[in-house]
Amino acid sequence: MALFGSSEKKSEEKTEFMFDTESIVNQSTLAKDIKINGSLESTDYIDFSGHLTGTLKSTTINLKPGSYVKGTITADTITVEGEVDGDIQAKDIYIKSTAKIKGNIRYQNIDIQNGSIINADLFYSS
Amino acid sequence: MDENNTDMDENSTDSVGDEIQSTPIDNDAKAVNIGSGVRVDGRIEGAETSDISGTLTGTLKSSNININSKGAFSGDMSGQEITISGSVDGEINSEDYLIVNNSANIKGVIEYASLQVSYGARIQGTLRHRGSVQSYSPVSTDEVKEDEINENQEVDQ
Repeated sequence: MALFGSSEKKSEEKTEFMFDTESIVNQSTLAKDIKINGSLESTDYIDFSGHLTGTLKSTTINLKPGSYVKGTITADTITVEGEVDGDIQAKDIYIKSTAKIKGNIRYQNIDIQNGSIINADLFYSS
Repeated sequence: MDENNTDMDENSTDSVGDEIQSTPIDNDAKAVNIGSGVRVDGRIEGAETSDISGTLTGTLKSSNININSKGAFSGDMSGQEITISGSVDGEINSEDYLIVNNSANIKGVIEYASLQVSYGARIQGTLRHRGSVQSYSPVSTDEVKEDEINENQEVDQ
């Protein structure tokens, strides 16, 4: 199942989000079976569980466990629970225990949970 | 009676003096503690716990390493359990777990098995996970094997 685009109403199932869902106006959810070759852009919140080769750009990106992104990810806030091979750029990056990252990470604030596997170059910018 | 008393007094004062002299302060804990404002330049090996609140430049090998918030280290450090709250410039090699607190400022190469970084910490450099298959690892694994062989030979002798 895949739900594309934006939903103006807060979905009842989405209560597990770490962000305040009340404030999310445009929220996109991409399910496990989604495979994208190219670029995906949004101005708000992306909840990503699929596979993507290319670029991913949004304000808030949540890469769920099982997700895979090869390419460039840019956002204000990124939460990584899946696998990333490429460049990550964000103001706030939260790396969870299930994350696996290879590549470059550009950040202002970073939070890493133990258990994550990171082989990357870190660049801090104020 | 009087003589006996004076003898006993002398004995007791002597024994007190001996006691003070015969209690040297041994540091069997293999602990290294570099206080705030103290600067050390050199190589520390075989330590169990190392608490650094001052400035240490050189090589540090210790099971437990704490670089406190006022502490500054530059050089190579290796240990099992490492906690960084201060500043580090160089190489960190952690066999077990590495905790980076929010006051930390790290520049260099970090090799880790388990890593936890608090929001606010600054890390500039390279992260390498131990156990991940990497193209640049054969040199270090050879060194480990040689060390293990040497240790085994020493045990045999």
